[in-house]
Amino acid sequence: MILWTYDLDDGCYRARLMAGLAGVPLALRAVDMIPGRAHLAPDMLARNPRGTLPVLEDGDLVLTQLPAILAHLARAGARGQAFLPGSPRERAACEEWLAFAFGDAAAAAAARRAALFGPEDPAPAARAARAALRLADDHLTRQGFAGAGFLAGAAPSIADVALFPAFALSRDYGVDHDEFPALRAWARRLRGLPGFLTMPGIPDYH
Amino acid sequence: MSAGWTPLALARDIPPGAAAGAVLDGAEIVLWRDATGAIHAWEDRCPHRGMKLSFGFVKGDRLACLYHGWEYDGGGRCRHIPAHPELDVPASIRTNAHAAAEALGLVFVHVAAGPDLPPPPTDPGDPVTPLRSLFLDADAEEVAAALARGLPGLGPARVSGGGVLRSVEQGGHRLHAGLHRIGPARAALHLTVAGAAGGAALDRIARAAEAFRRAVEGGAAAA
Repeated sequence: MILWTYDLDDGCYRARLMAGLAGVPLALRAVDMIPGRAHLAPDMLARNPRGTLPVLEDGDLVLTQLPAILAHLARAGARGQAFLPGSPRERAACEEWLAFAFGDAAAAAAARRAALFGPEDPAPAARAARAALRLADDHLTRQGFAGAGFLAGAAPSIADVALFPAFALSRDYGVDHDEFPALRAWARRLRGLPGFLTMPGIPDYH
Repeated sequence: MSAGWTPLALARDIPPGAAAGAVLDGAEIVLWRDATGAIHAWEDRCPHRGMKLSFGFVKGDRLACLYHGWEYDGGGRCRHIPAHPELDVPASIRTNAHAAAEALGLVFVHVAAGPDLPPPPTDPGDPVTPLRSLFLDADAEEVAAALARGLPGLGPARVSGGGVLRSVEQGGHRLHAGLHRIGPARAALHLTVAGAAGGAALDRIARAAEAFRRAVEGGAAAA
């Protein structure tokens, strides 16, 4: 599979992280998104008319929506099946929190983009992102009381991969980790998984 | 309650190998626990270039700064500078260490270590079940006033204590509630349950704590 990617984009990171955790080898193709705007050049638009990154190519299948990309990568990897819960309750919880990651927590990516690249004021999106992180922290706190360490249950799922950068990169938009002890513990658990990888802004503890 | 000792976190939330930031009356503090289980509290500032030590990571019995990897031992003394690996680091390069102690499942800090500290809070040694820390966008005084009525939905409450530590008897449980002022309109409540408590009870109390936060912040916003 080929992934068209930009190193500083958190969406591209989610795809690379999922591939790493699932054990799916990816051929990476770097796209000069900033400042080159190469994702909007004719060759990339021919590949993905939406003009977004990442773009995943699996033979003649082209995927551009992250929820689809994450699920496809999970299915493709030896370790990936475990990231797609089978039981009805856990599957529902996974879909709930996947939607949260791309819905409520979308403000995190917007806040970060504004803070790092401008031109908008990141403050309103940062406030919304903080509210989303609080909800996730509350949920993970209660999950802990039920013996579950991840969003959808005792095992990590694509929902955890989808939400991770919103917390891990929160300092980029001015929200520190002090007030989210459950998210900190969750992040430590994710870091310990085989195939975990980072991006600029997420420390590689050496 | 020993004067000057303030609860800043749940002991559970700073496990061995973890570092985290906390702010007390505007002062930035790093809390970290080494591999032996000892808890440390320092000014959250690397003496090299001022980077927050809470962004760093624990390596065994040392805390490493994220910026240039300078490593500090439990006493706050710098022991390793990666750019100069053969250097015997001068003893003058050290962090500003505060005093830390644990009781009732909470981490207490006294800013400014020294020989004339008041005694740390004593732990009677009774079992304690950690619940959660609650961070509120409200003045500490408001949180304290609201806490006098207990947590919403758990029934009548009997609240005793004062200052930074209260006891909340409600719904068949007794909670230890540590209160700390982060800054103007920002406070934290650190909650542990006396004795054992099962998952269902903890879930119920945690939801009541979330409702408490909503009520206090809703009131603060309306003020």
